[in-house]
Amino acid sequence: MTTKRCVLVGGGVAAASAAAHLRKRGFDGDVVLVGEETAAPYERPPLSKEFLTGPPELVRPLTPDWYAANGVELRLGVRAVALDVAGRSVGLSTGERLGYDDLVLATGVRPRRLSGFDGEGVHYLRTAADAGRLRAELATARRIAILGAGFIGCEVAASATALGTQVTLFEPEPAPLARVLGAAIGAVLMDIHRERGVEIRPGEHVTALDRGRHGFVLTTSRGDRVEADLVVVGIGSVPNVELGQDAGLAVANGGLAVDEYGRTSAPHVYAAGDVAAQHHPRYGTRIRVEHHDTAVRQGANVAANLAGEVTPFEEAHWFWSDQYEHSLQSTGRMGAFDSVVLRGRLADRSFSAFSLVDGRIQGVISLNRPGDVLAARRMLFAPHEVTAEQLADESLPLKRLMPRTKTASRA
Amino acid sequence: MTGQWQEAMQLDELWEGEMAGVEVGGEKVLLMNIDGDVRAYRNRCPHQAWALDEGDFDGETLTCSRHLWVFDARSGSGVNPDNCRLTSFPCRVDEDGTIRVDVG
Ligand SMILES: Cc1cc2nc3c(=O)[nH]c(=O)nc-3n(C[C@H](O)[C@H](O)[C@H](O)COP(=O)(O)OP(=O)(O)OC[C@H]3O[C@@H](n4cnc5c(N)ncnc54)[C@H](O)[C@@H]3O)c2cc1C
Ligand code: FES
Repeated sequence: MTTKRCVLVGGGVAAASAAAHLRKRGFDGDVVLVGEETAAPYERPPLSKEFLTGPPELVRPLTPDWYAANGVELRLGVRAVALDVAGRSVGLSTGERLGYDDLVLATGVRPRRLSGFDGEGVHYLRTAADAGRLRAELATARRIAILGAGFIGCEVAASATALGTQVTLFEPEPAPLARVLGAAIGAVLMDIHRERGVEIRPGEHVTALDRGRHGFVLTTSRGDRVEADLVVVGIGSVPNVELGQDAGLAVANGGLAVDEYGRTSAPHVYAAGDVAAQHHPRYGTRIRVEHHDTAVRQGANVAANLAGEVTPFEEAHWFWSDQYEHSLQSTGRMGAFDSVVLRGRLADRSFSAFSLVDGRIQGVISLNRPGDVLAARRMLFAPHEVTAEQLADESLPLKRLMPRTKTASRA
Repeated sequence: MTGQWQEAMQLDELWEGEMAGVEVGGEKVLLMNIDGDVRAYRNRCPHQAWALDEGDFDGETLTCSRHLWVFDARSGSGVNPDNCRLTSFPCRVDEDGTIRVDVG
């Protein structure tokens, strides 16, 4: 009998989680993890936060010796450059061809680049190497300009501010993260940044970048000129679909289309993490999520399916973002922002905004109330019925609104 | 080096299925009452050191509120992910209901 070989392409948390769960669930074939970065899998969330302000340590989902101890072969610094679905093999940047019985594509996303905005002093943030360079330059920068007030832009603004750097933050939308948070919560976030001294310029973007004698001069859409020692661009991301797409795999929502089991359109090829646009049975539609927790859980789910425990992925999506001392969290899917039910007060910066439809919680965004998000996450797909009054009533613990069935409480 | 049993809390202040963050001998300690059994852990998540008493305890498992790591309350071992564990401290309950912890 020949040993089965499972190849994981991508060295992020989705691939690491798949490796861990393959072994946990008793898969005893070969596991090879091919990752373009030279570092073994690590968590990216700290890169815009603690890694910049504190010691530059990587948080790792698996200790470096775990791989050898569990017979997982790490091929780091190696890129998968071609996929042959019919021949079941991947071509590597080393010139080798690696055959597989099953393949998991967990190639993640890369930062979207702005043409003309590159070279020394211009930063994009995705990898530990990116964060290392940014960290080194932040140490001496007096003024930085950040293009885009998304998660990365806002978190870098908070970290740079903590380091004593003056920040100018440009955002074409009326408020930071407006599309994710809605206008009202976006405005709260804007106030938080402004109070800390960030010059936030909503409704304004940068049209040109010139190198002066002392750093950069940026021209804005309002015709202003703004100086900065360094520039961080955080304007979104591009899924790394090319390897799969060139091999004919179906693409949806910009990512590799997978069903609820993580299967792509090609036999024996799965996808997980930021790159995957997965059909979610609870929503009946494909969703691509770019958040840590979902990547970890999808990696685990694909591994379970490969190990023969066929289960659909139907977990709740959840994410957090830390800015200054504030903790933003969210789970589920938000509906219309103008009809949210508020628990707590925006002005207190301790609130949860619930999306409530027909007596059911669809999603919540919380600032500094992580307990609400945990409770809501448990309720999302469990039977429950609540009223707006109950949600808004802070004297009524959310736990009390939860259905009492044990099975429903654990995702 | 042997530590000493220091007073942490009274058992009647810690109901079954509840947890509390306390300070014992300069150490931040998490006390949990699991069906009448009391456990004491360092009140710092093994992931990124956030305080665990802000999390959610359902009587059996503890979920850290920061990034949702889940631990078995009785054993302190990680449930998800399972390659980690809480740091535990020796803990006992005296006849008079005083919870004592040895933080070393
Ligand atoms: C700075 C930063 C902060 C973040 N903060 C948060 C946060 O606070 N909360 C949150 O929920 N999420 C956060 N995220 C998002 C989170 O990190 C991602 O959702 C997560 O990393 C996705 O994991 P993944 O394994 O799918 O992909 P990735 O982590 O992107 O890993 C993919 C890996 O595959 C490699 N690769 C790509 N193509 C190939 C190829 N052809 N061959 C070999 N290797 C390849 C890449 O080099 C990369 O190492 C943050 C992300 C960043 C960058
Ligand atoms: S600090 Fe507890 S889960 Fe991250």
